[in-house]
Formats: sequence, C-alpha cells, structure tokens
Amino acid sequence: MADALTEKGSARSWRAPRLTLRQREAIEAWLFVSPTVAGFLLFFLGPLAAVVYFSLTEWNLLTQQATFVGVKNYVDALSHNPDFWHVLRNSFVFAMGLVPLNMALALSLALALSRPFRGVIFFRTVFFAPVVTSAVAWAIVWRFLLQGEGGAVNQMLALVGIDGPNWLREPDWAMVAVIVTRVIKMVGLNMILYIAALQAIPRDYEAAARLEGASNWQIFRMVIWPLLAPTTLVIFVITMIGSFKVFDHIYLMTGGGPENGTLVLAFYIYEQGFKFFNVGYASALAMIMFVIVLVLTVVQMTLRRRDMQ
Amino acid sequence: MTSLTLRNIKKSFGATQVIKGVDLEIADGEFVVFVGPSGCGKSTLLRMIAGLEDITEGEIYIGERKVNDVQAAQRGVAMVFQSYALYPHLTVRDNMAFGLKVRKVPASERERRVREAAASLKLEALLDRYPRELSGGQRQRVAIGRAIVGNPQVFLFDEPLSNLDAELRVHMRSEIAALHQRLENTMIYVTHDQIEAMTLADRIVVLREGVIEQVGTPRELYESPANLFVAQFIGSPRMNVLPARAVAGRLAARGLNIGAAEGVGMRPEHISLTAPESGLLRGRVALSEYTGAATLLHVELEEGETALVIANGPAVPANGQEVGLEIAREHLHVFDKAGRAIRPLVQAA
Repeated sequence: MADALTEKGSARSWRAPRLTLRQREAIEAWLFVSPTVAGFLLFFLGPLAAVVYFSLTEWNLLTQQATFVGVKNYVDALSHNPDFWHVLRNSFVFAMGLVPLNMALALSLALALSRPFRGVIFFRTVFFAPVVTSAVAWAIVWRFLLQGEGGAVNQMLALVGIDGPNWLREPDWAMVAVIVTRVIKMVGLNMILYIAALQAIPRDYEAAARLEGASNWQIFRMVIWPLLAPTTLVIFVITMIGSFKVFDHIYLMTGGGPENGTLVLAFYIYEQGFKFFNVGYASALAMIMFVIVLVLTVVQMTLRRRDMQ
Repeated sequence: MTSLTLRNIKKSFGATQVIKGVDLEIADGEFVVFVGPSGCGKSTLLRMIAGLEDITEGEIYIGERKVNDVQAAQRGVAMVFQSYALYPHLTVRDNMAFGLKVRKVPASERERRVREAAASLKLEALLDRYPRELSGGQRQRVAIGRAIVGNPQVFLFDEPLSNLDAELRVHMRSEIAALHQRLENTMIYVTHDQIEAMTLADRIVVLREGVIEQVGTPRELYESPANLFVAQFIGSPRMNVLPARAVAGRLAARGLNIGAAEGVGMRPEHISLTAPESGLLRGRVALSEYTGAATLLHVELEEGETALVIANGPAVPANGQEVGLEIAREHLHVFDKAGRAIRPLVQAA
C-alpha cells in the first residue's frame, strides 16, 4: 500500500506543471504569430536597421568599402545637391496630381457601381482588370498609345481637331501622361475599397434622409461622405505611399525623362544606389522618403481624427 | 391628421409579385397595425406608403391627394425604422434636426423644435451625445423624436421594437401608445408580434403572402377570426384546431350541427377541465408546463390529436391523468374546407 502511494507520488512529481488556460492560449497565440513576427524582423526591421546604418556611411558598392560619415549624406542631399530638391518637387507634383485624381475617380466609379444593375460585374471587372495587369505590358501599350505621331491618343484627338503633343517626350506633358496612366492602372483597387465601404452603409440611412427631404447631393455630403471617412483615410494613406514609392511605372514609361521631368524620388534612389553605386547616399535618400511619408500620414490621420471628433 | 386610402395596390420585384392587390381605408388619427409572418409584404406595403418603393399598380391617397408619383419627402410622412437609422456621426440634436436642416429651416427654429420634441420624450439630457453612447431604448426614443420634429401627417413604424429586450419592449410599447394619444396623428405600425398588434392597434390588418386576410379591431380578430390563418395567428398559445369528425358527433348530441365543416377551433384559454366522462373531449395529460401565472397542459385526446389547455389555479392534473375538456358553445370556431370561418353554428332539430 505504502509502495503504491510512493509510486503514485513519484509519478505525480514527474508530470509537467499544469498550465492555466490563459498561459496555454498565450503559447498558442505566439505560435500562430511567430512566422509573421519572424518574417517582419528578418525582412522588414532588419533591412530598415541596415538602411539606417548605410545612410550614415559612405559605401561604394564597387569598392565594398564603408566609411562612417555621420549625417554627411543627409546634409549633402538637403543642402548641397540641387537635383534632390528637383526630384522631391517632382515626387510631390506626382503625388498631388495622382492622389486626388485617383480618389475622386475611384469614388465616382464606386458610387456608380455599388448598386446592383445588369452588367455591374462586367464594369467592375473592366475597371479592376488593369490593377492585376503586368506593369510592363501596361507601360509598353501606353507608350505606343501616347506616341507623338501615329499614337492612338493623338489620332483620336486629331478627329476633333486637336493637335496632340508628344506626350512622353515633352517635359510639360510627360508628368501629366505618367500620372493619368498610373491612375487608370490603379484606380480599380481604390474603387473596390470604396464599393465595399458603400455597401456596408445601411440602406436605411439613405431612406431616412430621403424621407426627410434630402437631395442626392445632400445625402452624399451629409450622410455618405462622413461615413466613408475611415475608408477615405486608408485609401489616402495607401495611395499617397504608393505614389511616393512609384518606380516601375516611371522606369518603363519615361526613364525619368525628358530632362528629368519625371524623375521622382524612388527612381532617383534606384539610380544613386544601383547606377552610380552610392549606397550610403541612396540609403539616406530612402530614409528621407520614409520620414516624408510618415509625416504626411500622421498629419492626415490627426486631421481626420479631429474631424471625426 | 389625415386619412389614407390604398386602392388595389400591387408590387412586383421582377417576376415575383409580393403585394397582390390591397384595398384599405385608414381614418384620421387611427392607429393601424400591419401584422403577419415574415415575407408577407407588410414592410413593403409600408415602404410603398412612405414613397421608398415604387407602386407597380394601384393608387395611394394621403388625405385627398394621390401620392403615387409624389416624392417621399413631399408626402408628409415620417418613418421610424427597425434599425433606428440614426446617423452615427451626428449627435442626437443633429440627428433630430437633420430634416429641418436640409429643408433650410432657420437655426433658431430648428433648435426650438428639437428642444420641444426632446422635452416630450425626455431626451434633453442626451442632445449632445452620439448614438453609440445611447442604450437601445434611448436610440428608439431619438428615432421617434426625429420623426416628431418634422410634424408629419402620418407616422410609419417599421418593427420599431424588435431590437429591444422583452422588458424594454413592453415599456416602449406603452410610450408609443401614449404618444399616439397625445399627438392623435394617423399611425401605421408594422410588426410580426401579435401581442404588440393587439395592445397598440385601433385596427389590425392581417397580411399573408401579399394579401389582406382580415381587417378588424383586436377584439374582432380574436373573437371572430375570418379564417383559420387569422384564428391561429392571433392569440397565444395558438388556437387548437381539431378535425371536425373528431367532435361532430358529440356536438350534435349537444344540439350543434357543424354541417360540412372541416375543422373546429378552440382557444387554450377557453377550455376548462372536467371529469373524463362528462367533457366534450376526453384525453390524458402528456405534459404540463408551469409558467407561473398558469399551467399549459398538453392533452392527448382519444382521437389521437393533442390539445393545448391553459389551467389556472393550483390544482393541476398530473402527467398521465385522464381528464375531460369542456368549452362554452360561443367559444367554438368552425372552419370549412377552404379554411373560412362558418358561423353561426346551426341549431340541430
């Protein structure tokens, strides 16, 4: 009897300590998020820390020699390099042209395509298809369409008596052309986000407003638009970040030209890093771009939050 | 205050006809309740009156004015929605003043009317809150307040209490009844809850599959249902309906001839218990459910049917005990093969 008890007791002492439900849930939760956390550390925070470090060095890719230079790269960009301010101006012009145009067009399309009617799926597909189209194919097609002589766009303009410019070769028009073609390519994504938001607004709000005498414009301005504010904020932030990061579109359409007229920050960083091999300077430019986007996002979110309150 | 007339109203969504010809007269200041099961078309009918749904066929008059082609805002109606439809980004004050603002009523007048409505609904302390900061009952009152502010001729309520818990529903029901007494406006109220219909209505309109089954006062519907559907829809627990052959002989022996009837209805609350050998029906208690105020007995009859009986008082037969069931002649409802009520019962020779 005594032996049995001892055996039991020893068996009990071998058992692992029992975890509480909370502890077990915490372990399961960490197991679930650990792949993402590992990926985040490895592929985001790691490279970000590396870029911060590179930006404080003078590192030529060809010689593979990195010399710590402090904030010299930042000072060079901000005070000694006129190209930087020209590029920054181009990036702002691109963003200020693209973001409002993209959002206005996306919202207009969403308002038209959020209600069921015959053919609505077809139209949604038509406007969304460019989003999933290859950027290379898109750019090549548009380069043909926008050719000065013989381009389809100019041929159509000629039908109504307009002598179209050489869109991608004239500094004044190249930026307009890349903005518009980029908007047409990406507007479908924002349209889908707005459609989802519009469909989530209960139809009773509109019915109640209509019963109270509100016109379509009043319903939009006083009911729909305020309720879309959170979606508008998300769309604004992702579109703005996307516009500052644009690279492939510029690379394929104009290569930054003509006369650096479409040379935007992301493309300039690429040139500095991988064409001229100034990795330290390119990293400093990347950090400046990061700060600009961060500041714009925080300002926008603060304004929106104040608006909502 | 104003009357309302519906003439042969029909509504189709594509090939599906949901309202199949409704004729109805609603008097000045009357409180009319549309009641019926889900999908019967009651909310669609209400939305057609509001102007939120087109009318496929027929005519709607508000007062003397035909309103088929009149915009919702011009019909002089206000509606309280099931979801309340309070704008989440506006305060209670702004929600209530919304209609006045879009109609460009001056700010001072808006404030006066909002304050008046808020005072009548005890909402003054909540005027600066947002809907998310209100309880269900408070939201309901704000929705009613928003309707009152516009000073409409007709109030429309679309299942306004269905999102509230049972206790609050009873309370809000009495508030709506009090509101009607105070304002004396014409009110049309949609519900699937027959208790709400019975307690609020001057007249009830029972709808099924897009047609009116019966229109009458709550008492008329309860005591003289026009057909089997109304008889079983109104009243809780629902009316027992037994095959006529099960009781025809015994009714004949008591001097009642039910002729070619197909079914005989008896409300559970009208049946009394008696000795097994002396009742109109005889059976055995299969189940008893104590509800506090009464006990609901499930009695298996000799004929194989089950009848529900409400037994009052402490002396309730045990499960398995044989009982007799008795009912007064005036409480019997007789239905023909098509489900139509047949009355009066013919006295046997």
